[in-house]
Amino acid sequence: MNTVVLIKQVPQAAELPWDSRTGRLKREASEGMMNPACKHALEAGLRIKERHGGTVMAVSMGPPEAEEVLREALALGADQAVLLCDPRLAGADTLATSYTLARAVERVCPDFDLVLLGCHTTDSETGQVGPQMAEELDLPAVCDAEDIQIQGKRLTARRVSDGFLETLELTLPALLTVTTQEFTPRDTPLGGVERAFAQAQVRVLDAEALGADSSRMGAAGSAGSMLRVYSPTAQKKGVLLKGAVKKNVQDLLDRYGDRLGGLIRKDLGLEG
Amino acid sequence: MELNPCLKHKLLRKTVREFAEGVLGPIAAEIDHEARFPWEAVEKMRALQYFGLQAPLDLGGAGLDTISYAVVVEELSRVSAGVGLCVSVHNSVALYPLLRFGNSEQIKRLAPDLCSGKRIGAFCLTEANAGSDASGVETMAVALRPVGGQDYLINGTKIFVTNGGVCGLALIFAVTEPGANQRAASVFLVESERPGFQVGEIEELAGMRCNPVSSLFLEDCRVPAANLLGRPGDGLKIGLTALDTGRLGIAAQALGLAQGALEAALRYAKERQQFGRAIAGFQTIQNYLADMATEVEAGRLLLYRACSLKDAGRPFTVEAAMAKLFCSRVAREVTNLAVQIHGGCGYSKEYEVERLYRDAKVTEIYEGTSEIQRLVIARGLLSQPGGRPVSS
Amino acid sequence: MEEAQKQVWVFGDYRNYFQNRVTLQLIARARELAAAMDGQVCVLLFGHELQDWIDEYVAHGADTVLVIDHPSLKVYQSETYTGLLVDLARQHRPEIILVGATSFGRELAARSAKRLNTGLTADCVDLRIDEQGLLVQTAPGFGGNLLAEIVIPRHRPQMATVRPGTFQELPHDYLRAARVERLDLPPNLPPERVRLVKSERLPPREQALENAEVVVCGGRGMGSKKKFRNLHELARLLDGQVGATRPVVYAHWAEDGALVGQAGRQIKPQVLFSFGISGAIQHTAGISGNPFLVAVNKNPNAVMMQMADVGLVADANQVCLALIRELKNRLRT
Repeated sequence: MNTVVLIKQVPQAAELPWDSRTGRLKREASEGMMNPACKHALEAGLRIKERHGGTVMAVSMGPPEAEEVLREALALGADQAVLLCDPRLAGADTLATSYTLARAVERVCPDFDLVLLGCHTTDSETGQVGPQMAEELDLPAVCDAEDIQIQGKRLTARRVSDGFLETLELTLPALLTVTTQEFTPRDTPLGGVERAFAQAQVRVLDAEALGADSSRMGAAGSAGSMLRVYSPTAQKKGVLLKGAVKKNVQDLLDRYGDRLGGLIRKDLGLEG
Repeated sequence: MELNPCLKHKLLRKTVREFAEGVLGPIAAEIDHEARFPWEAVEKMRALQYFGLQAPLDLGGAGLDTISYAVVVEELSRVSAGVGLCVSVHNSVALYPLLRFGNSEQIKRLAPDLCSGKRIGAFCLTEANAGSDASGVETMAVALRPVGGQDYLINGTKIFVTNGGVCGLALIFAVTEPGANQRAASVFLVESERPGFQVGEIEELAGMRCNPVSSLFLEDCRVPAANLLGRPGDGLKIGLTALDTGRLGIAAQALGLAQGALEAALRYAKERQQFGRAIAGFQTIQNYLADMATEVEAGRLLLYRACSLKDAGRPFTVEAAMAKLFCSRVAREVTNLAVQIHGGCGYSKEYEVERLYRDAKVTEIYEGTSEIQRLVIARGLLSQPGGRPVSS
Repeated sequence: MEEAQKQVWVFGDYRNYFQNRVTLQLIARARELAAAMDGQVCVLLFGHELQDWIDEYVAHGADTVLVIDHPSLKVYQSETYTGLLVDLARQHRPEIILVGATSFGRELAARSAKRLNTGLTADCVDLRIDEQGLLVQTAPGFGGNLLAEIVIPRHRPQMATVRPGTFQELPHDYLRAARVERLDLPPNLPPERVRLVKSERLPPREQALENAEVVVCGGRGMGSKKKFRNLHELARLLDGQVGATRPVVYAHWAEDGALVGQAGRQIKPQVLFSFGISGAIQHTAGISGNPFLVAVNKNPNAVMMQMADVGLVADANQVCLALIRELKNRLRT
């Protein structure tokens, strides 16, 4: 079993600081981390390798800093790591991203049996790259897999989809996306960190090395175009209470107890 | 000397931080309060090679360099200094001397269990009349000479043994020749299941309370000569070598404590409102924070430099003593200021700085008091003709 | 079908109709978009024995329903349905295709957009037509604190997915009439490579949170798993339910079922307590009905605090504990 796991580095902070004057995101203010669903996908790949043998290759597209999540993948047990890194790949929507990643997988691991992705990323949350890669690679695919069984060339996956528990079957090679429900990632062993640097390499490829159509990659290959980004403004202007907690809580119930109590049909008015 | 952390150390720091915050963070206050050794966390740490940090990969270790070792202890201690202490002592003054001075049979027999954390290590030098003065050791190891073998019978009492209550292997310092030069102590590798090896009461200490620091009693404890580390009389050499590395660990521990306190103080200063603004807006608090951050950073550089000397195979005794002397003072001062910034809350067990403050003090005491560190540094200075102990 | 008229398409997603009326909601918004470009609304319907759905979509605003009814389409299949949708889109060239962001819809939309080589914006919270006649898609981005307006200038159709609950459906109108076009299954459809071995309907999930009049929501600002549990005590005193944000669910302080937001439950309480939540759009998108909002946060500038009727600048857990104490006092009297 040769498995390729696609891994994305996402900002660690759930909320990025945003400069309201320039309208720009202070991306540099945030440390990167491995996207959680990608980490579950990697775990799925490692468990498949432990059970059926073979190799796990981690592939990421991103800035040079994304080397870190690939080293982490190596520390966790991936055998090889490839980083697609080229300014010309920046600004890609899912159309261009899925094209680029599909070409990369074909280039770096032409004899793959399985491609695994996280079901979505925390920074963009579209969940589109998996199914679009399946189209691009013309592979049978299951999104949101929670259980994966393999017998020979036959793969069975279970998933929850719109209120149905489904069991699906397909023939390898195939593509799966993995949710964060199952495949809880292992902790990184410290010796793995040492090995990830002492005994492994991160192979870096640029756009040329893919030998693909550059007009279909990066911003040039994207269909969507961003008009503007803005911070949703708050609609209400309420009361702000500062200072001693106990007093504020009493104030809250004194002032609004009737209203709250009325809404929930309990008497929360003044202490009596 | 490379001052920027390499990606490996960065990833390692993240790895340990994630583990420490995720596994130790939720229980740090509780295990301090209950003085409970966190077996549930230690179980996980065993599998992740926290007990074989610098041991080679083929012995089940993590094969890390010394800066990595400092980073691990620092990050564990930032969350729970008592656990950081356990890991530091196990790796630096138990496993390390075994790997350094043990023969291949001893390493093969004992190192895997230490690396896997199946046995937790302890270092037993201190006695009622021996501490800073290592020549005061009174524990006796008498050679028995039965036919066909050589065993030792050990008698004595060790005190303030870190990891004492949970240790599986103790390095026991004992003198073999009554009446001979007492400096000629020897070191014995004693497994805790040997008859005559007994753990005393766990000490009630001000800090590091999750670590079961205890006395150890050795009563006619029979140990084969195969468990003698190095040669008879090598005790001082082994002890000093182990303590050089141990001091790097204690410095890292102190640094982690200081870092934790600095972060807590920063958080609190930004939240706490007085006179209509966050107290971080006041210059006095800003001055405190600036001093704290500067001291922590200085300590870190001193420590990592000492570690890098060790990794380069160069002498680092003086630098390790400097790092320990400096970082432990920084830990005491920074945790003190962190409590001060917290005001009354800092004195309450609701806030973690109260624990950090208690934990910090002992870093100026164990594995060589600050006074002993100065003595080591001064000895290094004076023994060099130029007055400069180590060139860079 | 009159090809001259611009078309807004909606994928008819009926599998979980009783819990999810997203198709009806999309038809309503599609009508507004179609009106702005003098076009019409067409619903695609694939499956078997579909008359009830045809009637339903017509009554809710479809101008045309394109139906492919065949026994082999009885269960949802992503490759086959993608093939059908893409074929029809190539023939009829719609301006816009809207798909409900159900599990199936997300995959179908992504695959179709790829085959049609066009853009697809996920989880739009607003859709409108601008002066040039382009579809302006508003979607959360960058971790959810920001909204982005996206257009697809050169590619057609313009595609978007929308989460259930984002738009309001139109009232049911039995008297509406519409064109229903029944099409045959294309003869050379490639076989589905993913075989559905078993499919069981899960029991309808607990709706307590969705229906609760009082919801106590907690975020990372609660501080720890242990402190988060205090919210349950508060909720109990208020006869309410506990909700949570995504970071909290990721950290296992709360169950997945407690997740309030775009990816989780849609709540519509009368009263909402929000503890230690900054107010990322992924979370606030799950709150509707303009509840009386009490927010607690150390940061007075958090979005949630600015949305609040009453904001308390304080430690979330301390306020939670104080509220529990105070409520116990008052409820006893």
